[in-house]
Amino acid sequence: MFEKLKPLSVRATLAACVMAAGVGGVNAGETKVGLLLPYVGVYAALGNEIDAGFTLALEESGMAGDFVIVREDTEVKPPVGLAKARKLVLEDEVDVIVGIVSSGVLGAVRDFVDGAQVPLIVANAGNNDATGSRCSKYVARVSFSNAQINRPMGQWLYDSGVRTAYTMASDYAAGHQTMAAFSEAFIAAGGEIVGAEFTPFGKTKDFGPYLSKASAAKPDAIYVFYAGGEAISFVKQYASLGIKGDIPLYGSGFLTSPLYVAAEGPAAEGVVTGAHYAPTLDIPENNAFKAAFIAKTGKAPSEFAVQGYDAGRVLVEAVKSGASGREAIATAMSKVAYTGPRGALSIDPATNNVVQNIYVYETVAGDNGLTQKLIGQIDNVADAVNGCQF
Amino acid sequence: MTDTMAFWIVQGLHGLQFSMLLFLLSVGLTVIFGLLHFVNLAHGALYALGAFVSFSAVKLTGSYWAGFLLAPVAVAIAGMLLYLGLIKRMRNAGPMNQVLITFGLIFVFLDIFRIFWGDIALGVEEPALFSGPIEFWGIKYSAYRLFVIGLGIFVLGVLHLILSRTQIGAMIRAGVDNEHMAACLGINVEKVFFIVFCVGCALAGLAGAVAAPILSVYPGMGTEILIPALIVVVIGGLGSLKGAMAGSLLVGFIQTFGAVIAPQIASVLVYVLLAGVLIFRPAGLFPARS
Amino acid sequence: MFHQTKLKTFVLLAILVGLIIYTMNGSYFGRELVVEVAILAILAISVDMVSGYGGMVSLCHGAIFGLGAYAYAAVNVLMGGPPALAVVAAIVAAFTFGFAVGAVTSRTRGIFFIMATLAFGQMIYVMIFDSKSLGGDDGMWGLTRLDLSAIGVNLESGVQFAIFSVLCIGLTYVVAALILRSAFGRTFSGIHENEDRMRALGTPVWKFKALAFGLSGSLAGIAGALAAQHTMFVSPELVIWTFSGEVLIVVILGGLGTLVGPVLGAVVMVFLKHEISNITTYWHMIIGILLIITVMAGGRGIYGGLEQYLARRAAKAAPASGAKTDA
Repeated sequence: MFEKLKPLSVRATLAACVMAAGVGGVNAGETKVGLLLPYVGVYAALGNEIDAGFTLALEESGMAGDFVIVREDTEVKPPVGLAKARKLVLEDEVDVIVGIVSSGVLGAVRDFVDGAQVPLIVANAGNNDATGSRCSKYVARVSFSNAQINRPMGQWLYDSGVRTAYTMASDYAAGHQTMAAFSEAFIAAGGEIVGAEFTPFGKTKDFGPYLSKASAAKPDAIYVFYAGGEAISFVKQYASLGIKGDIPLYGSGFLTSPLYVAAEGPAAEGVVTGAHYAPTLDIPENNAFKAAFIAKTGKAPSEFAVQGYDAGRVLVEAVKSGASGREAIATAMSKVAYTGPRGALSIDPATNNVVQNIYVYETVAGDNGLTQKLIGQIDNVADAVNGCQF
Repeated sequence: MTDTMAFWIVQGLHGLQFSMLLFLLSVGLTVIFGLLHFVNLAHGALYALGAFVSFSAVKLTGSYWAGFLLAPVAVAIAGMLLYLGLIKRMRNAGPMNQVLITFGLIFVFLDIFRIFWGDIALGVEEPALFSGPIEFWGIKYSAYRLFVIGLGIFVLGVLHLILSRTQIGAMIRAGVDNEHMAACLGINVEKVFFIVFCVGCALAGLAGAVAAPILSVYPGMGTEILIPALIVVVIGGLGSLKGAMAGSLLVGFIQTFGAVIAPQIASVLVYVLLAGVLIFRPAGLFPARS
Repeated sequence: MFHQTKLKTFVLLAILVGLIIYTMNGSYFGRELVVEVAILAILAISVDMVSGYGGMVSLCHGAIFGLGAYAYAAVNVLMGGPPALAVVAAIVAAFTFGFAVGAVTSRTRGIFFIMATLAFGQMIYVMIFDSKSLGGDDGMWGLTRLDLSAIGVNLESGVQFAIFSVLCIGLTYVVAALILRSAFGRTFSGIHENEDRMRALGTPVWKFKALAFGLSGSLAGIAGALAAQHTMFVSPELVIWTFSGEVLIVVILGGLGTLVGPVLGAVVMVFLKHEISNITTYWHMIIGILLIITVMAGGRGIYGGLEQYLARRAAKAAPASGAKTDA
């Protein structure tokens, strides 16, 4: 019963807004969107950020009245995510699904949306295979792939004078893909990996034994992939054990994400990371986005909010180009290109993964706590086709 | 040579530090088991509560020590309420019902944490006194972690003295040995139970406050550490201080050195140890009652 | 000791028929919920078999269930075996692990047993999560469902799969009831009532416990095979220990040691959770509070309460004979 109430009330509110603005009735067909995100569990905060960014994009386009949104909670459990995806397609008959934070849920949902021919715009999950060997015409990703963020960092680290690196990451798919991409590029550039460690994922977050091992190997740099609570623990332990004074720390941007960096405190100062978004990126699109997001939610956006926003933008652009219905949206979404908060962005027609800039930034102390100092930029990073065939 | 020496000493300190954290957590669990025959799966949630309270206290006062002092008190009060509201009535309800009640409590606590502190992991700064690394004998090690080791040894010493030298300690030992006999001897068993339960909870809260600067603070932290703590209790044996310490050291060192020497099998080693203990010493290594 | 009363038969049939009617008339998502009920009910029956009748309160049945699902996927996907063989593999794997846990823990009692099962269940989770060949945290996909076209059933159809799942509840119930009514089952219950006496009588207690836990495990394996076919995807989340706790909640909610209660509990739990999660994301708390209330209320569960209510009514109708049943 509530299922039916929710979309109706959303539609009613949005319709009211549109009428007030006097833009009603532009497009003939409404687009029904299934927003599939975690609202409970470890990724609930990410789900809420993406949701807020997505809604902002629709409101900003002035076409909010053309979209009906049905929200479903994946609970970060693949079977639940799949059940909800099926429900969105078979019962609510949505035209497009947007969201998905964890790669596990994406892996579970992929075959179903591909078979049902329902377009899916991925707003976070970074598993390489989703736009590689398991790519689909119906799955486009606006967030990032694990390789995309870390491959450029291999060359960049070498160019900045690092010759030997020790890698550490959580022992799950994202950790392995991240380190494979970084190490390959770093070695190709001429660097040497002097040690690699995969630490147990989701258990007690004591990295002490591993950090001491890394420190004993005396590398020029430590390069890591950690996110969320693990990132907080890792950065603090790195400083507390005194390794910070000896060996510089690099990693993928989630290590010092604006969502978590405040909790890391002074320990995070001087850590250099590569990411697809940096809040301090000084371009008009980003400044406008930040202002709008703060006006809407009262807090500064993270990379997850941007991903949600861009998922909304890709959908809006696809519909603006005249697409209506599942097949047309699927075709149109892989042709979208525009400049957004993270700079020039397009969907690669060969893989359906996003093509975007990667930013290298150092976390530094600012006037209001920690902030990001941009120190490098790699333009238009696109993934190789990696066996993708539509 | 000195380098490798220093390396193993540092790893030994890591093992000791993790053992002490496990000890603070499991000693309450095991004594409550031994004395009250009560299993508290929510012990991990109380540890998380301690960490969250310490986070808020540090945020309000700017001092780590406010959290360090307040967390055990707040968790002891929470434990008091739980004891009077639920646990007292469930004492003789059998392990199944106790498991279920406290499992339900885990769910309740998880959402309480989410409502008051949100879904995003939080951090607590180390106290200025023990901030960063210190160097001795050519070894560099986290001052805060040394403090945790010292605290663990201190708590062990205090508990040992209380149990062996004081009247309440004698009452507790009598209660663990034979509850009915103790009651017949005129010991107010009910009061002893209540005190022990609250102290156990306070220690869990202390463990949370101590762990917060190292491990960060998030709703699921209690469920993550619950299983290692339960393994410590099973290996060590119900209700004994010695068992809790021995179990903590075994689990702490196996995890640490497993991670250093054989990371591929480190995660399974502890379970192998557990299976071995269950087969050959089903009552644990140092059961309080023979 | 297990007795198949008329009330049990009635309640079970009412649930099964009700679920089938709901499936035929319900929406798409309704059928998803029915399959969820079926999986949970089968698992709850298997837990009740050892926990309710043997006092072996298990916190590893979630892991056995997940192991079954993974065995199904391994045979079906990695080896390319037919689904029928995969079902057998799921049952065998679940039985073997259950038997091993039962054997290793046979000397432990009460809370030690509960914690040991928790730890061994967690061991399975760690091993599956760390295993690259089983897909690690990515899991495995591309599973196929049983081919029952020989008897005119197409499990690819949502309606038929849901009905098939409901029939699996009935089948599992019958198997569990037959085991509990056999000489073996009565000895097993006897061990629960007085283990020392059974030992003194020369009963090889560990064999009974291990075998009972293995048999119960194989039922959990059936639930795992069903879940694997339902989602056609397996991932380590299936093996997480808190799921074992949730199953125990279902058992206690429906009525421990009644065998039909757990089925009722599964129905209530799935539909309740669905309704509450539509209203708030804090549904864990509500389920937790509900659980605490159920246990505090005496832990008879819904079916136990129903039995008691009917007994009271019967007692009112015939005051002379009713006094005893009420005690």
